[in-house]
Amino acid sequence: MGVEVIIKIAAIGLLTAIIGQILKQTGREEISTIASLAGLILVIIMVLNLIGELFATFNNLFKF
Amino acid sequence: MDIIIKIVAIGLITCLATLFVKPVRSDFAIFIAIAGGLVILFLILGYVSEIFDVFKNIIAATGVSSQLYKILIKIIGIGYLVEFAIGICNDTGNSSLGDKILLGGKIVVMVMALPIVTNILQIIIGLLPS
Repeated sequence: MGVEVIIKIAAIGLLTAIIGQILKQTGREEISTIASLAGLILVIIMVLNLIGELFATFNNLFKF
Repeated sequence: MDIIIKIVAIGLITCLATLFVKPVRSDFAIFIAIAGGLVILFLILGYVSEIFDVFKNIIAATGVSSQLYKILIKIIGIGYLVEFAIGICNDTGNSSLGDKILLGGKIVVMVMALPIVTNILQIIIGLLPS
């Protein structure tokens, strides 16, 4: 829990961009779209997990 | 002192990461910003609970009903949460949505504060000579 989440998301973003570019160069448009979509979903799941954790912590902290 | 260095470092790293990713994939920059904000919030929350423990002891010493204290703590929590959500909305360019969240937070806080208001009114009525 810390900086690694931020770095991970940035890395996924750059990686999917590169993969998409390569796939586009080789003429596989639909696979490149799927790859970028997969990266996006991965990141959304990570952020949603973080938000869920935040809500759980808030519930514990402010419940009493 | 240790914690503030951590927070500043994470904030700057988030800034740089969004800067690098934005020209390549602008949709990921928002997620990085949200994740950075969440990480900073997680770092702070432990200290918030410490503050609340101290408050709890003070309230217990004064003998004020703990029901009022609980409402106060909940209102503070709503404030922090709403502020965080509004920040995300403004970052993504939906400032009007942020305003609606703000309105919702205000209404909920008002509803939660009503018992305190009625309590004060009852005290005032009790003080008045009949």
